Amino acid sequence: MDFLGVITSHYNAFLVGAAMTAVVSAVSIALGMILGLWLAFGLISRNRPLRRASAVYRSAWRGTPILVQLLIVFYLLPEIGLDVPPVAAAIIALTMNTAAFQAEIFRGGLLTIPSGQVEAARMLGIRVLRIRVRILIPQMMRLVLPALINETISILKNSSLISVIAVTELMRTSQQVVSVTYRPLETYMIAAVVYLAMNLVLARAGAWFERRHALAAR
Amino acid sequence: MSEEAESGTMEGKPVVLVEGLHKRFGATHVLKGIDLAVEKSQVVCVIGPSGSGKSTLLRCMAFLDRYDEGRVFIENRLLGYRETDGELTRDSERNIDSVRSVIGMVFQHYNLWPHMTALGNVTEALRVVRKLGRREAEHIGMEMLGKVGLNDKAHDHPARLSGGQQQRTAIARALAIRPHVMFFDEPTSALDPELVGEVLQVMQELASEGMTMVVVTHEMGFAAHVADEVVFMDDGEVVERGSPDDIFKRPRSDRLREFLDTWRSRAI
Repeated sequence: MDFLGVITSHYNAFLVGAAMTAVVSAVSIALGMILGLWLAFGLISRNRPLRRASAVYRSAWRGTPILVQLLIVFYLLPEIGLDVPPVAAAIIALTMNTAAFQAEIFRGGLLTIPSGQVEAARMLGIRVLRIRVRILIPQMMRLVLPALINETISILKNSSLISVIAVTELMRTSQQVVSVTYRPLETYMIAAVVYLAMNLVLARAGAWFERRHALAAR
Repeated sequence: MSEEAESGTMEGKPVVLVEGLHKRFGATHVLKGIDLAVEKSQVVCVIGPSGSGKSTLLRCMAFLDRYDEGRVFIENRLLGYRETDGELTRDSERNIDSVRSVIGMVFQHYNLWPHMTALGNVTEALRVVRKLGRREAEHIGMEMLGKVGLNDKAHDHPARLSGGQQQRTAIARALAIRPHVMFFDEPTSALDPELVGEVLQVMQELASEGMTMVVVTHEMGFAAHVADEVVFMDDGEVVERGSPDDIFKRPRSDRLREFLDTWRSRAI
């Protein structure tokens, strides 16, 4: 075993790879949140076609493997005339995937908020979008924070799949390191530790947010 | 404000006018042709057994529940529908909001927003609907909280308030938009008995200031002392209406007599 040798000789590559993993995951989660919020309100909408369309999207993206989605997006984009770099294809696929899962998380959170709160707001003349932004989303976010952290962790781990479309993130970096060092065990264990470290930071941040909101709600 | 200008020309016309109102939930006929007129500064209390349709009536009068037949006029404007050649089609949300803007509503379960302070609850509509600045909104908010005796609780979240304080905050929130009429949907039914009095007192003060009020309630004492008219509903119909004395001392129908007997036997 030669962990030290692998790390010291490829320190920068691991760092750059980890940064790519973090950026792709963070951007996908953030964009997925915006899309997921619209989708969640679609899922609970009184408008039947909108509700159906949202459910179809949700089911399609939740019901197929990320690897398949990734490859379809990667090969479909050039087909329809969009020549984007692999990293953009990766972000699009991960965003559309996490949107489906986040929408389900948000929907669950929204359903626990008593409808009377919305009725009170309607009676005061507050419009639907304002009710969502000022009354529903802030309460819902506190409720779903643990589930949202879970989803972020899951996307961060699943982002290792984008190595197959040649995005040089942590996983692909590791493969490249293996091809020059012939030290697969050490290399992948280092990669595992980096993934774990990033996710532990996420979990800690989540716990901190939860505590802060618990205090603020008093 | 255009609404206020209109109401100025409404001398003598009822603030709320309900004509032949019907409401069905699936096969259940909940309201069977209700007529009701509420004049300016009048306090109308609606009483009746649970399931008689009185809460549904109030919710239809606020268009929180869609009514199926009949008309609801708020200050002479049809609420919820547009009428062309006798046909009713659902009105736009904007128009519904506009007609509703003179109604303040208080709910059984307060329906406060738990992530905001008492003051935040009261000022929210002022900020986002009336577009007032923070200072002006908070000035009015404190005034409204003062009116219900909660100045010292302005910065507390609802979870730290008693049920009575929460309901008084909800009343302050409804008053902040300067409504011309207040709807109360069983405002004390969710409260512990010892907290009912403080809410009724606030309501009584409002009534004595000349606020037009429609109160769906189980508080017969309040109805007897504060109401100008009491409406007794049973099984989706108005069975009897009249002054508190008529209703409580000289009931004419068996159904009302029975209802009052049940209530009196429970009150002992």
